[in-house]
Amino acid sequence: MNANAQRFRRACEAKAFDRNHRAIVAKNTATYHAAVARGLARFADWETARRRAAAVKWEVMNHLDHYLEEFERNVRATGGHVHWAETAEEATQIVLSLARQHGVRKAVKSKSMVTEEIHLNPALEAAGITVLETDLGEYICQLRGEPPYHIVTPVMHLNRQQIAETFHEKFGTPLDATAEELAGIARERLRAEFLAADMGITGANFAVADPGMIVLCTNEGNARLTTALPRLHVAVVGIEKLLPRLEDLALFWPLLATRGTGQFLTVYNTLVGGSEPLHVILLDNGRTQLLADVEQRDALHCIRCGACLNACPVYKTVGGHSYGTTYQGPIGSMITPHLRGWPDWSHLPYASSLCGHCADVCPVRIPIHHHLLHNRRNAVRQRLDPPLQRWMFRVWLWGVQSARRYAIGGRLARWAMRLGLAQPLARAWTRYRDLPDPPREAFRDWWRKHERA
Amino acid sequence: MSARENILSRVRDAVRAEAPRPPSPSEAPVWPPMGDAETRFREEFVALRGEIVESLPEFLAGFGKIATDDSDLVAAACGRVGMTVPVREAELGVTSCVCLVAQTGSVVVACRRSEERALSVLPPVHLVVARRSQIVLDLEAALGVVRRQYGGGLPSLVSVISGPSRTADIEKVLVLGAHGPRRLAVHFVNE
Repeated sequence: MNANAQRFRRACEAKAFDRNHRAIVAKNTATYHAAVARGLARFADWETARRRAAAVKWEVMNHLDHYLEEFERNVRATGGHVHWAETAEEATQIVLSLARQHGVRKAVKSKSMVTEEIHLNPALEAAGITVLETDLGEYICQLRGEPPYHIVTPVMHLNRQQIAETFHEKFGTPLDATAEELAGIARERLRAEFLAADMGITGANFAVADPGMIVLCTNEGNARLTTALPRLHVAVVGIEKLLPRLEDLALFWPLLATRGTGQFLTVYNTLVGGSEPLHVILLDNGRTQLLADVEQRDALHCIRCGACLNACPVYKTVGGHSYGTTYQGPIGSMITPHLRGWPDWSHLPYASSLCGHCADVCPVRIPIHHHLLHNRRNAVRQRLDPPLQRWMFRVWLWGVQSARRYAIGGRLARWAMRLGLAQPLARAWTRYRDLPDPPREAFRDWWRKHERA
Repeated sequence: MSARENILSRVRDAVRAEAPRPPSPSEAPVWPPMGDAETRFREEFVALRGEIVESLPEFLAGFGKIATDDSDLVAAACGRVGMTVPVREAELGVTSCVCLVAQTGSVVVACRRSEERALSVLPPVHLVVARRSQIVLDLEAALGVVRRQYGGGLPSLVSVISGPSRTADIEKVLVLGAHGPRRLAVHFVNE
């Protein structure tokens, strides 16, 4: 097992038995699920909506060259700038050189997973530029020095007391501050930062090819301030974010909000074009590899609503930080090996019960659990599975290919279990649970006796 | 070769083979039928904690520093206030809008210059002055209005605003006025 996989297993084991964590996440997801149920009731036909969205995304992804060029052309036509970055390093270099050109000393950021992906904050700080996260959840993460726990709800794992403690430590505010007071403190402190910042950094929830505009969806209004107050706006955008036309948003906005938070729309759905200084950085960073995989291309349809995380029994048990990835949960386990390399991340597709709930809730109908299975197969093909596991599957395969061998195997297993010989082999299971008692007889023996009756 | 060429050539190579097509969607309507546009707008807007202002002078009297956009509609409606301050100091920002969306209770604002961008989001209260005829039925119609009104020269920022700024990042508890306005109001002028 590689170091990453070992770290993942240890983190999962610790989190799975953390009752406090489980209670906080259960409370958060219960509120979320109730809101989503109300949100879904606003659709006459949810299934048709997601099928339409899947069709639009299929069109984009299978003609992505065309839409990228159209987007670039249209952004430039309105005076905006488009840059291309093959890797995370290239993208951060572009941001840094823009910052240098414009004499930027202070930057504000609106919540963006892609800038987490390229580790932009440390790069800017190393260059002497102060960066402040302005989304309340991300701001709390930054104060605590933690990565986001969830792609939509960055501090889902914290309760109010923990957040009040963080604020108390940093700002000396009361320990019994309410959610409203905490949000008010952040508002006051960040307001000054917005006004002093030279550069605003955002991602994009969507990028529209016609007209060439990026789309930002927030509830707090921080993306609005990030694009309004600093004199320079830089948006880092994954190449998979494209939509063909403005009018497509009439479908995608409600889909994203409904599955993201249960709202029908987030409060600010904002289109930003080029006539004020806008620099868009189109980022590949492994996405074209996933695009080249015809079988799994539709993983790029993801609109990052976070619904599969909230649906996933594994995510809710092991928590977002255990994954050690930018994108957690089912979609993260699906795409991370493609984006960051199979040798280090091929353990993630196993972090799934394959129950398929992730695919059920996906607003663009990505069959995520099938892809997790494909990932497992692809990892085995690359011989990335642990040798012991490979050997055991070979033995199992040999065993089940003959009725006689299967019967003998079953008898041996029942005998071993009865004598307590199997338990040490199943330690990973028996550490926390009992093995079931072995059946008294095999089903085939039972059947033979009762067949005539 | 540049990053652009490299990425585009990888994309072209990749999409040469087509991914399996998803099943085609039915023609069924996605949204339930809507009744009267103005009634629906009022219901949705108020449900999002928006305020409908009936008496404009009374509302405006509650604020000292008021910043407004330069539209004729706002000038005519707020004319008697006759007071414009820098947006950073304003207690109230007053703007016109592109349209209002009945389906979602949203107001759609657009701006060309960066000071205008701040007007609807920086002051603690945002008032939209509108005509009843600007209410459209749904989001699709609203985006259609945006496209028709501006054609090729879209403003640098278009924002569909649905209620006052909010956050639920802490324990999913709803807090209004996260970064943007704590209050959002609409006043319909008499036509």
